[in-house]
Amino acid sequence: MAVTTYVEAIRQGIWEEMERDENVFVIGEDVGIYGGAFKVTDGMLEKFGELRVVDTPISESGIVGAAIGAALMGMRPVAEMQFADFISCGFDQITNFAAKCRYRWGAPVPIVIRGPSGGGVHGGPFHSQNPEMYFVHTPGLKVVCPSTAYDAKGLIKSAIRDNDPVLYFEHKFLYRRIKEELPSGDYTVPIGKAIIRREGADISVITYGAMVYIAMDAAKELEKEGIGLEVLDLRSLVPYDREAVLETAKKTSKVILLHEDTRIGGFAGELAALISEEAFEYLDGPIRRITAPDTPVPYSPPLEEFFLPKVSDVIRVARELYAY
Amino acid sequence: MAETKVIMPQMGESIFEGTLTRWLKKAGDAIKRDEPLFEISTDKIDSEIPAPASGVLQRILVQEGQTVEINTVVGIIGDETVSAEKPPAQTPAATPPPPTAAKPHPQTVPDREPDREKEEDETSPGHVSPVVRKLAREHGVDLAILGGKGTGIGGRITKNDILHFVEERKAAPAPAQGEVERVPMSAMRKAIAEHMVMSQRTSAHVTTFFEVDCSRVMAAREKLKPEFERGGAKLTVTPFFVHAAVQALKRFPILNASVEGNTIVYKKGIHVGIAVNIEGGLIVPVIRNAAEKNMQQLAQAINDLGERARSRQLAPDEVQGGTFSVTNPGQFGAVIGTPIINQPQVAILCMGGIKKRAVVAENDAIVARPMIMLALSFDHRIIDGAVADQFMADIQKQLENWES
Amino acid sequence: MNVKTVNSPPLAQAQRSDVPPAETQIRILYYMKLTRELEDRIERKLYRQGKVLGGVYVGRGQEAIAVGSCIDLRTDDVVCPSHRDMGAYLIKGMDLRTILAQYMGRKTGPTKGKDANLHMGSLSHNLIAFISMLGDSVPVAAGIGLSFKMRGQDRVVICPFGDGATSRGDWHEGVNMASVFKCPVVYLCNNNQYAYSTPLERQMAVENVADRASAYGIPGEIVDGNDVLAVWAASRRAIERARAGDGPTLIECKTFRMTGHSAHDKADYVPSELFELWEERCPILRLERDLVKSGIMTASAIEEMQRQIIADIDEAVRIAEQDPYPEPEDCLRGVYEE
Repeated sequence: MAVTTYVEAIRQGIWEEMERDENVFVIGEDVGIYGGAFKVTDGMLEKFGELRVVDTPISESGIVGAAIGAALMGMRPVAEMQFADFISCGFDQITNFAAKCRYRWGAPVPIVIRGPSGGGVHGGPFHSQNPEMYFVHTPGLKVVCPSTAYDAKGLIKSAIRDNDPVLYFEHKFLYRRIKEELPSGDYTVPIGKAIIRREGADISVITYGAMVYIAMDAAKELEKEGIGLEVLDLRSLVPYDREAVLETAKKTSKVILLHEDTRIGGFAGELAALISEEAFEYLDGPIRRITAPDTPVPYSPPLEEFFLPKVSDVIRVARELYAY
Repeated sequence: MAETKVIMPQMGESIFEGTLTRWLKKAGDAIKRDEPLFEISTDKIDSEIPAPASGVLQRILVQEGQTVEINTVVGIIGDETVSAEKPPAQTPAATPPPPTAAKPHPQTVPDREPDREKEEDETSPGHVSPVVRKLAREHGVDLAILGGKGTGIGGRITKNDILHFVEERKAAPAPAQGEVERVPMSAMRKAIAEHMVMSQRTSAHVTTFFEVDCSRVMAAREKLKPEFERGGAKLTVTPFFVHAAVQALKRFPILNASVEGNTIVYKKGIHVGIAVNIEGGLIVPVIRNAAEKNMQQLAQAINDLGERARSRQLAPDEVQGGTFSVTNPGQFGAVIGTPIINQPQVAILCMGGIKKRAVVAENDAIVARPMIMLALSFDHRIIDGAVADQFMADIQKQLENWES
Repeated sequence: MNVKTVNSPPLAQAQRSDVPPAETQIRILYYMKLTRELEDRIERKLYRQGKVLGGVYVGRGQEAIAVGSCIDLRTDDVVCPSHRDMGAYLIKGMDLRTILAQYMGRKTGPTKGKDANLHMGSLSHNLIAFISMLGDSVPVAAGIGLSFKMRGQDRVVICPFGDGATSRGDWHEGVNMASVFKCPVVYLCNNNQYAYSTPLERQMAVENVADRASAYGIPGEIVDGNDVLAVWAASRRAIERARAGDGPTLIECKTFRMTGHSAHDKADYVPSELFELWEERCPILRLERDLVKSGIMTASAIEEMQRQIIADIDEAVRIAEQDPYPEPEDCLRGVYEE
């Protein structure tokens, strides 16, 4: 067991997969000689050579398109978007080419597109977005959002081994803040399975990404006043663990949906609809959402702080829901 | 004029809430800026908090013992004197107004309109969430039983409430199927049931018993009967007891009072409720200003209210506002009773049946006298035994010395 | 309107040494005629009979481009065709019945009814299905070429596209990438002078699409897109360059779109005299004339070829027309690996 940061866990996962399967390669901007803007691919060029660690021009569409082409020929590219925000430049290739090949003509596109998403780092509107929903909304793609170092490693491996296009959104705020003991040896985390981070009897908080830690901090505080939060970490958005969502909702009958993404069109809407459709009779109170507001991510600290969901938000809403 | 909001301060960067432990002023008090106004307790520190402005503490919004987030408004300082209104109890989280009143109205013993048997309305449990409905269905619970008494906002029945109810019901030995018949309570029965337990929870009930020789009362009654009946009023013994009680209440005003928190509220008027048994329950119409009525008027009032009670023709204001009550289980043969106080009153007089008994007279002779047992249930929060007994002795003396 | 053309010298006077062998020339004619007749049957008959629904786009008059470039490809070479490249599908081995089933939305087509007209592909035939966002295939072709380099394979990719597609960002990113990485790609522009109703001078400020090649540091060549042997020669050179590891080439085939953009486009924005002019430059007629002249084929052999082609198409239509439609619930299948 070794203490590993979240970012290092991703690096290890990719590295181990490249050792394991010669078809796996990395492609993106500054991934080679620089080792990646966040050092996710550090050391890989030396180890695997420039045919497997490909530095590209600034061409997200080109990067994704090339990855698709290589994948159609049986390779397993891991394409990096330097900031997840830039994924919009490759939107068409992802949603219209990659996502639809298997459906249209049975051709698998086993690509991984990964990049750092999320705010809280004074990044401003173009370095802080959570773009997952554009892709959650596109059938044919898979979307994962790990919150722990363990899951980061396990999920990048699963994503690489998956035969469908997987979007892997790693949260930049967690990169170096999260440190865990990771087991040595190969392991994967299945795509499509959520995990209970904390059991509780009173209110379910369903969340993912960096917000998992917000929920856990709130849970510790609320425990003091006798309110037991159950925290479910989705880990995957497409496919997502419907059974786990319904199970926790049925158990506590009171649900808070928490995500850093903005409100309208955020994943909470999907979950709220699912719970209302399939667990209506188990509800003892309205389903509550805690999300960022519907604005771009602002820069100045008071603005960004207002924007991001906080522990106090979870506490306040939990108390309201508990008293209902 | 300008209002200043008094807020829960942030005592430390990582603090986001505080408990208001003590108000140092009450609503309506004048306050000077920087004068200590309230005390708080947080994770880091306990503090005395000075007033942010001078003026009058108009409203208290957060009660002692409540924990609220920093920057929550705990009170309002204005610069006019406002009569100290009873502050509405507010929880820190703004909630929609409760659909049903959490506490029953004090005058719930009689129903306002007892002939209205609208089962759905009065037995309605209010808003029911999906899981509560489902659990009720699964466990065969009639939600009307729990109506309005849940622990959720506004008395909402929560999932926990119904689960607890089911647990408790399981603990009680359940009769086998077919051995019981379940009948939902009528509105009046529900109201009476609620009032009775509420009264017992509220007052410190003590009952004291007096034996009274009714010889003179009976003689007076015989004498007055023809005259009263000519006036259209049947003369029972009840008016005598009511009259005696009223006179005693003048001399012992504490039995004509109410308790509000730590305050004794003395009622100026004496309004005596007379318990009347009706089909399905009981009702207590009130003789207003009984002290101003003579025997004739009392008798008339008692008869009239009794008749109209039994025929369900009482007006709503005739069953409100009582300050003292009288009940007469003796009419059914009871020797005596231990009545429950009719809230928000503090005493109730109970008449047993009048029976000829062998008693020992002054010269040790054994004689037959018409005797009655009287009981007074009183609220020991404000009435001590000695006072209650003195009150009763006063009544006894009046009755045993009745001048025809 | 000044339409750019390139006139290549007649075959007999050619100083070119790169002329395909006779057998290849016959094959070339066959596939061009097959393309022509198949598309004719689809557009002028089946579509107008309501047997093909939605949109139909044919490459009438541009048959030389797909056929000339693909005729000598190896089985393991890959083609990323566009909507005017029916010939590429036929050469790579997709049969008539399958193609017709695709157009008629049947279960037996390569997309099983999931997509329409030429939006089809087959990994086993090394045919990559394109999407409506034209230009997207350009980076994909670069990636395909990149994979050949990574694996040390000497396979090549042919990537045809129209003049309009070269305006898209993806086109530029893809060509740039292929150039930087020296991917074994032949980028083939079918410049038929119109993108829907947009004439060339509204599409770009450069005179030739091939002028863009130097911006990416790759060779650009202009050929007469209606001279199939010229197309063949230029393609062969580019393919050899790619196979040798020298990177991509941009070949611009000057031609003309003899129909509207699609079957439902009257194209009355095109001056009618242009149609007349280009009719005489029909690549099939030109090759037929040349083959008869050079003695490689007789007129009656050509007629026989035509008869056989029609008969094959008739038979394929007969079978495909009876093929089943997909089940409604098939809509839900194939989104992810099952």
